[in-house]
Amino acid sequence: MRATLTRPGLCRVEQIMGTAITLDLADDLPPATLRELADDVFAWMREVDARFSTYKPDSEVCRFDRGEVLLSEASADLRYVLETCADLWGATDGFFDAYATGRLDPSGFVKGWAAQVASDRLVAAGAVNHCVNAGGDVRVRGLSPSGEPWRIGIRHPWDAMAACLVLSGTDLAVATSGVYERGRHVLDPRRGAPASGLRSVTVVGTDLGLADAYATAALAMGTPGLNWLARLDDHTHAVITDNARQYHSVDLPLTD
Amino acid sequence: MRRALLAITGLAASTTALVVFKGSPGTSQVAQNLPTAQPVNPTPQDVEPSADPSGVAPKPSVTADAPTSPKPTKSTARPSGTRTTTKAAPRTTTKAPQSTTRRVTGNGFDNEYGYVQVQIVVSGNRIVEAVALSLPSGGESDIHSGDVRDSYDGRGGEVVQKQNANLNTVSGATETSNSYKQSLRSAIEQAF
Repeated sequence: MRATLTRPGLCRVEQIMGTAITLDLADDLPPATLRELADDVFAWMREVDARFSTYKPDSEVCRFDRGEVLLSEASADLRYVLETCADLWGATDGFFDAYATGRLDPSGFVKGWAAQVASDRLVAAGAVNHCVNAGGDVRVRGLSPSGEPWRIGIRHPWDAMAACLVLSGTDLAVATSGVYERGRHVLDPRRGAPASGLRSVTVVGTDLGLADAYATAALAMGTPGLNWLARLDDHTHAVITDNARQYHSVDLPLTD
Repeated sequence: MRRALLAITGLAASTTALVVFKGSPGTSQVAQNLPTAQPVNPTPQDVEPSADPSGVAPKPSVTADAPTSPKPTKSTARPSGTRTTTKAAPRTTTKAPQSTTRRVTGNGFDNEYGYVQVQIVVSGNRIVEAVALSLPSGGESDIHSGDVRDSYDGRGGEVVQKQNANLNTVSGATETSNSYKQSLRSAIEQAF
């Protein structure tokens, strides 16, 4: 995160969704354009938070969960999220479960999806070199401000200041689910108990919403999640177990 | 216990690094506007209405420090007696001739993991450091780090390594930064 004085672009951090959202625009665009792009990204993230937060009783998600909004009345975004969560439930053998806690909570998909949409919009607006980091879920595109591919660390589960693996790429969605930040918050939906065996699961693909959901699902599976990840098409993974072993796909985009 | 502390201290330290970085001269423009309200949080409405001010413990305080050279701040006084030491991130830009250095302590906030309080060091109209005076410790991650130490015996996959390469960004589990944010914000509001 050290920048030279002459780097192009703009870097901005805001607290949304209860976490830090970092936007790094690396395109050498006029400052006013960069500001506008950043404003749009953060306005979108706040809009998603207002509509999808499970902590805001007046969010669309909470109103839908209480039956105050019918599916037919729901916004296109909410319907898309509900449909995708249903698909993900099937694709993950039931381990990605937006109802795992007994009430609707699509957060395991929403944060990554929101960042993915923000990144897609940036590309459409011509800002093709950027990094969006939504509370540890990362979408990078193009090149970093140094002109090199983006370098993405996977956080070491026992040392917040260190990375355990470093990835590099120009078009990557990297989502990590772990039990080190919020304790054992991911439930195994089949047993209703906290999952165990895996400390941190990182899934790498090109759609951050899916990567986020797959990482959450594999974490919920516990140790068998490793084999499930190995069979997952079009995605690579890195896993750290509770006993501090690391496993990763052969074709994970690792760098030194 | 140590692990949980490290994890959260990491969040604090990275915020520190961020603030220090943002405060350094000639960086991006957003950073420079920081004291005037642009960056850290241009969105007053994202203070959750449910944020319970009753969790506020010690009154905020502003203390003038010796001119320039802020000393690395240490430690905390959690009312229950838990003692926490926070390492200050290496500071690169503290030289601010002519300006006085102030320390401003944010309100304390309780969350489900413990008590969080942040202090900022202000030089002129710039934040040069943010220090967590108190961070939660303990919790479930402790239990597991114990298990892990017991099983560091080299079976299965390779033992997880540390790398400190140059990074643009880091992917990790979502940080629970609300209380830190609230305390940091209250310190900033008092300072400017």
